[in-house]
Amino acid sequence: MSQAIISPHIPDLDLITVYAQRQDTWFSGVSPWTKFAGLFLIVLLVTLTKNLLVCISLYVVVLLVYAASDLPVRKLFSWYLIPVLFVLSLVGIMAWTEPGVPLFTLDLGIFPLTLTDAGAMLVVTLLLKALISVTYSLFFLMTTRYQYFSAMISRIFPSPLDQIFLMAYRFLFLTLSMIGAMMKAIRSRGGGIVRSLRVQGRIFAEVFALVFIRSFDRAERVSRAMISRGYQGKLEAATDIPRPGLSGYGTIAVSLMAIVLIASFVPDQWGLVW
Amino acid sequence: MVIVRRDPASPHCPPLDRERELIHVDCASHTYADGSVGIHNMCFSVLRNEIVVLCGPNGSGKSTLIEHLNGLLTPSQGEIWVGGRSITKGERTDLWKEVGVVFQRSDDQLFAPTVLDDVMFGPLNLGLTRPEAHAAAISALEAVGAADLVSKIPGYLSGGQKRLVSIAGVLAMRPKIIVLDEPTSDLDPLHSDRIEKVIRTFKEEYGISVVIATHDLDLAARIADRVCLVKNGAVFAEGTPEEIFYNPELIEEAGLMLPHTVRIYLEFCATGGIEPTDHPVRLEELIVSLQRRSCDSSR
Repeated sequence: MSQAIISPHIPDLDLITVYAQRQDTWFSGVSPWTKFAGLFLIVLLVTLTKNLLVCISLYVVVLLVYAASDLPVRKLFSWYLIPVLFVLSLVGIMAWTEPGVPLFTLDLGIFPLTLTDAGAMLVVTLLLKALISVTYSLFFLMTTRYQYFSAMISRIFPSPLDQIFLMAYRFLFLTLSMIGAMMKAIRSRGGGIVRSLRVQGRIFAEVFALVFIRSFDRAERVSRAMISRGYQGKLEAATDIPRPGLSGYGTIAVSLMAIVLIASFVPDQWGLVW
Repeated sequence: MVIVRRDPASPHCPPLDRERELIHVDCASHTYADGSVGIHNMCFSVLRNEIVVLCGPNGSGKSTLIEHLNGLLTPSQGEIWVGGRSITKGERTDLWKEVGVVFQRSDDQLFAPTVLDDVMFGPLNLGLTRPEAHAAAISALEAVGAADLVSKIPGYLSGGQKRLVSIAGVLAMRPKIIVLDEPTSDLDPLHSDRIEKVIRTFKEEYGISVVIATHDLDLAARIADRVCLVKNGAVFAEGTPEEIFYNPELIEEAGLMLPHTVRIYLEFCATGGIEPTDHPVRLEELIVSLQRRSCDSSR
């Protein structure tokens, strides 16, 4: 079912959806609203805390939850590449300007670059925060049936954002399958995206231009099919989402209190020994 | 009924049957933005409680005509009447409520996150409440035998399942007419057979008129009450399947090939030196004819 079309480092939408529909672990039975609240609370905690130990602990917990849901851990690490590059591109420069105890100095001739303990901690903390958010988001997506997820989007987001999402998701599938078919056609005739990128750059540019043109063409056909059934600007998600049980509300309340306590009483540098 | 031959150069387009006519197309032309002509002097009618099949080769104008029937396209010149009122004069803007279209590519038709959402889409647009739309969707899915797909994601369905769900999406709106563009193309024989049975139930159980565009004359032979041959954007001949398919010159003129049943029967008669007096088009008719002819020749 799953096929990494372009790179194993890009999250595979098909695979994510297959896991989401599987629904055979305990976490799949948890109310989508509870899991969504969990996402909100995790984002809140990583925003409030700067403590490395808290971040490490939270990452370990989230990773264990992910693994306990029988989700592919090795693939998760492979998917980390993009968020890691994203974080490093942002804090890679900032890390060298942080004041603190110097760890090592890079002499560039014109001016020396010094990495301090605070700079290194900034990189590690931000990386952990990003990975926590990514891991939990993937856990949420891969344990929540797509119809619940789309219905939540429909309830939470205002129009036209919900409309855009509801239509874009299906369209994304179609576009990915179109790209997949083209990649197969290229590979079947000896082409390859890495091996041939330099040599066949023009061909690939043409292929991707074709994907865009076909996408527009397909969008027009989809639009006509919608109009033929009376589309007047409103697409609704019909599924009823299971509400959280008492234990769900309890978990959310306890987690919220824990976050308030951590944010209030755990110092930013607590537990660090350099 | 006798074969009605139309001169594509003639603008004359009388109603076929005033009493039973649901749609009357008198379209002098439809020209696309790039200048290509999709329809030229198209004269076409849909009657109450019939299955009419538009037969023509690729590019003959079938799909363009289909989009006219639902109001997606309007004639550059000419008029279309639905229920006696003209859609080109702006008297009708809600044609989609009466004429449902099942498009050739199901992937273009199924856009909602789940099968249920997709089938409920039309009923909700009709103004039904959510429980009513839900009931209509479930009923339509049951009618096409796809109730087990209700919570599936359209992207993961097989081609045949997608086609069934597309049909359910239109059936849930309970239109007076359902138009299907190449309903069995790209399907395996079992799914084709299932789709054919579903189409028959439209007419027999729901009293819905059906328009099918296809170049599969075997399908037309099995299912049609009336066959219209389309060429160069116009219907140039129409009649019952027996009349049309036992006129090889017409089929050749349309750029098509005779249905297998007709070819087998004509070959059988030619080989045995028998005059083809019967006109079987469906398989069961062919068997009866062949048995009778075999008995005749053995006497």
